[in-house]
Amino acid sequence: MSKVGMLLLACLSAASASAADAPKVVTLPQPTPPHYIWVNDFVFPHMVSGKALLVDGDAGRFVGELDTGFGSMRVVPSLDGRVIYSPETYFSRGTRGERTDVISLYDPAHLSFISEIQIPPKRSSNLPMMANAQLTDDGRFLLVYNFNPGQSITVVDTQTRKFVGEIESSGCALIYPTGNRTFFSICADGALLNTVIDDTGKVKSSERTADPVFDVEHDPVTEKGVRVGDTWYFVSFSGMIYPVEAGSKLQPTWSLLSADEKAAKWRPGGLQQLAVHTGLNRLYSIMHQGELDTHKDPGREVWVYDLAKRARIQKISMQHDSGSIQVSRDAHPLMFSIFIDSNVLDIYDATSGKFLRSVTDIGTTPTVLVSP
Amino acid sequence: MRWLDRMVEGSARSLAKRTSRRSMVGFLGALLVGAAATPLLPVARGATADPKAKKVDDPTSCDYWRHCAIDGYLCGCCGGTQDTCPPGTQMSAVTWVGTCHNPLDGKDYVISYNDCCGKSTCGRCMCNRNERDTPLYIPFQSNDYNWCSGNGKANVPYHCSTARIVAVAK
Repeated sequence: MSKVGMLLLACLSAASASAADAPKVVTLPQPTPPHYIWVNDFVFPHMVSGKALLVDGDAGRFVGELDTGFGSMRVVPSLDGRVIYSPETYFSRGTRGERTDVISLYDPAHLSFISEIQIPPKRSSNLPMMANAQLTDDGRFLLVYNFNPGQSITVVDTQTRKFVGEIESSGCALIYPTGNRTFFSICADGALLNTVIDDTGKVKSSERTADPVFDVEHDPVTEKGVRVGDTWYFVSFSGMIYPVEAGSKLQPTWSLLSADEKAAKWRPGGLQQLAVHTGLNRLYSIMHQGELDTHKDPGREVWVYDLAKRARIQKISMQHDSGSIQVSRDAHPLMFSIFIDSNVLDIYDATSGKFLRSVTDIGTTPTVLVSP
Repeated sequence: MRWLDRMVEGSARSLAKRTSRRSMVGFLGALLVGAAATPLLPVARGATADPKAKKVDDPTSCDYWRHCAIDGYLCGCCGGTQDTCPPGTQMSAVTWVGTCHNPLDGKDYVISYNDCCGKSTCGRCMCNRNERDTPLYIPFQSNDYNWCSGNGKANVPYHCSTARIVAVAK
């Protein structure tokens, strides 16, 4: 190159350096803002490439994503917000080869992979539920439901980041924490299996209630329970609320519906059909009109209840079909809504019920919504 | 099989105590599926179809009578049929069952929804109907599980769902 050429190149480089964008990657605010929401995507037409999508509910903006493997279940943010746990399944050759199940750990500031904990390759593959994976109340142990089709629960120590062991739960499914070392599962006959673990994550006791708590024959509750304090709230196909306190004590049941509403065939439905806000002590339920077998159908209304009074206080008209709802935990909560057969995330003021905004093109088959 | 044996034994015992005979027919249907490689009954035929009915006799339609509790992609649209898996896949050994009414002959049948496993999701003819579907804690009547789970050579990759007759419901 001639001297003149070199001089020109140097000038161009200097000019472009001042005008060009420096290469950089976004870092997210920490802790993750309470109005962000994780939209878990099962990606049913391409199950090997599951995702969890992060959306800013205030700005109505897609923030980023995690790639979460085959049959993606749901992310579980740690209680201190410093780690995101994700139960995942992979195969050595795409859809064939050796199956490996792991808990992947992600950095919430960079949505980047930190490390993984290998667990037995028997994590349940089902339409995602919140109760598939839960933390104990102190956040120490991560519990994952297994189905192959034997039933058990994998225990992972989040402190040592190691697989601890497997707890048999024959005939009983899913995980509903009730304390630092206690949780229950629901059995096929409606009884509850109460499990106590010790400080190493090993099972201390496992006791099934003598009698069924739920009436699985005539009006089963769905497995989509929500929790306020020590009480888990389950709803039956016909709209009866079953409050269950720690230790499997069933509190008086009550109905979401008046006699007239029952006659008009209103009922709850959806994949994540209930949500709660602890501070407001409110329960939110997706409602639609239909026959008994429509317990998974979406709804165009969300009915809101005061849990202390067991009375409805509000009806929210939905912009689109709603199959999954979640309410943020802060003092000025948002309500998020999406449907597995759509990919429009709708955002509402959870106190007034006012529709705020929609965010389009969120995933392929979005399932459960998780607050950070 | 140790897990399965124990679970089936425990579940059957508790269900026998708690549930009706109709439910037990469904449950036993699930057990039969594990034991039998071929349908126990022939496909119903010879009855007069209702011309006003939806496509209750079309296995590639979600309205097909056997699909009353299915949740997944119809194997009839994926290179298989309502009771055979597409080439290169494997049929799950155990599965969930439903009881469907066949308007063509007026009878109720126990239907086994065996999943076909080992390839990526088919993605054609998605169908979800939930007649008598139960929550996940009653596995053998729940259509929300991926029944490729634990399958011998194709552990968990789900491709599509069949709808096999296993018995006349009584």
